[in-house]
Amino acid sequence: MGLLSIIRKIKKKEKEMRILMVGLDNSGKTTIVLKMNGEDTSVISPTLGFNIKTIIYQKYTLNIWDVGGQKTIRSYWRNYFEQTDGLVWVVDSSDLRRLDDCKLELDNLLKEERLAGSSLLILANKQDIQGALTPEEIGKVLNLESMDKSRHWRIVGCSAYTGEGLLEGFDWLVQDIASRIYMLD
Amino acid sequence: MSSTHKLQHYHTKKNAVMEEDDDRSFATETLDEALKKKKHDDMLERFSARHTARKSDSPDSSSTFESTSSFLSRFADSKRSIESRIAELRLAADSSKIKSDLAEISSSINDLESLVAASSYFLPSYEVRSSLKSASDLKQSLESLSSELLPKKKFSFKTKSSPSTTAKIEKRDLVSPQNVTVFVRDSPGFRNKHEETLTKTFKSSSPSIGEFTLSDLDTCQVKLIGTVNALFINGLRNCKVYTGPVIGSILLDDVEDCVFVMASHQIRIHRAKKCDFYLRVRSRPIIEDSKGVRFGPFCLDYGGIEEDLKMAGLEEESESWADVDDFLWLRAVQSPNWSVLPEEERIASVSISSDGDS
Repeated sequence: MGLLSIIRKIKKKEKEMRILMVGLDNSGKTTIVLKMNGEDTSVISPTLGFNIKTIIYQKYTLNIWDVGGQKTIRSYWRNYFEQTDGLVWVVDSSDLRRLDDCKLELDNLLKEERLAGSSLLILANKQDIQGALTPEEIGKVLNLESMDKSRHWRIVGCSAYTGEGLLEGFDWLVQDIASRIYMLD
Repeated sequence: MSSTHKLQHYHTKKNAVMEEDDDRSFATETLDEALKKKKHDDMLERFSARHTARKSDSPDSSSTFESTSSFLSRFADSKRSIESRIAELRLAADSSKIKSDLAEISSSINDLESLVAASSYFLPSYEVRSSLKSASDLKQSLESLSSELLPKKKFSFKTKSSPSTTAKIEKRDLVSPQNVTVFVRDSPGFRNKHEETLTKTFKSSSPSIGEFTLSDLDTCQVKLIGTVNALFINGLRNCKVYTGPVIGSILLDDVEDCVFVMASHQIRIHRAKKCDFYLRVRSRPIIEDSKGVRFGPFCLDYGGIEEDLKMAGLEEESESWADVDDFLWLRAVQSPNWSVLPEEERIASVSISSDGDS
């Protein structure tokens, strides 16, 4: 308990949150981060490796780790699990063919012990595309209701292209983490 | 040695006139030096002894190369014998001896590992790694064998968790029909066609721009005129695909012997074999698990393509089509999996029209 309270104190001082963004390739992780940060999103190459962005959000500093989702580099996700406060799982809502893959990878991720305490935000991205599944449908396909009861989670529809829904999602995530770690001051 | 003697002599001579303190310090100094030298010699001796011991340990001491090869043959021999014993045990299920046999094999795998460890100082690191890998593979197959042959142990270990897992599976099965109802709404696209020409025009004025899918096509020609948000392509054989600009991204999977002429912001190519891509793309194209793919510049024309390209933000040629990232080739040298199409092998500009819209 002693160590935990020390960690809490340090975190309180810095008001830092570590957020890990993962999801299949082509789901729009990098675009979401750049859009949040108000950067140009017109030229984004598929992520070979990872990007880190530090964003000041409300009174908190978010360290967002955006890790590439290509199949060959998914095995490296585990290297980023340590000390993650918030987990963002990004779904390409228009990619109907790979929803099974998406579910499988998410299930694997949630089995990870090191991520057990982190809040989970699921972003049903690409809602701007005609024919994309709604967040409710995505939630059904991913079978989110059957998730471990101790997990704090929420699914939010968004479009990294227009920016819609991003703030709503991150508002929830930051509040949820804050209420866990900082006990809301 | 003789110089030290001289020095000592000199000191003793000097001692007569020196004070006692000085005398003592000089004496210890010389003693120290002698001790140091002795220690150094000892050390050298020990090193050489160890070296010769090592050399005589290995069966072939003439050179490191030969000891490596002899190690490899020794390793391969015992690996083969372990493998055959595992196979034998699998066939002959003599239940009384299984436990002792398993233990025996396990100990010979351990011997194999310690052989690797003992030889690791002269082996190239690659050999060390690969032999440790095969040792752990052996261990794994032994484990799977023992779980096969001794199910009782495994069962007792898992009794608590097994009911819950079966319950989970049932639950999943119950959920899957629900999934199917979700899947009924398929995205628009061309699917399961053979030897056809498929044409589709997207009117940029209508708000119904969305995604489009090309799936399981064989020997087809596909023409997409106008812009879409996202394009998904999978399971194409021997096809020619010409598409107008894609505002978002293109995702390709499992294509062979195809020609693609496409424009997009992003493109990801998975499992492509012997395909030519003529691209205009704003970011770096990527390939994964692909072989024999070649890239050239976009060369498509149809009435109104200039406006469509402009609308999609793709009016400029950024030459990114040649900056391909191969996710399975993270080295500085050129990946063997892709190349730039030689100019004399490129197709001429393709002109398509919306005749015969399907």
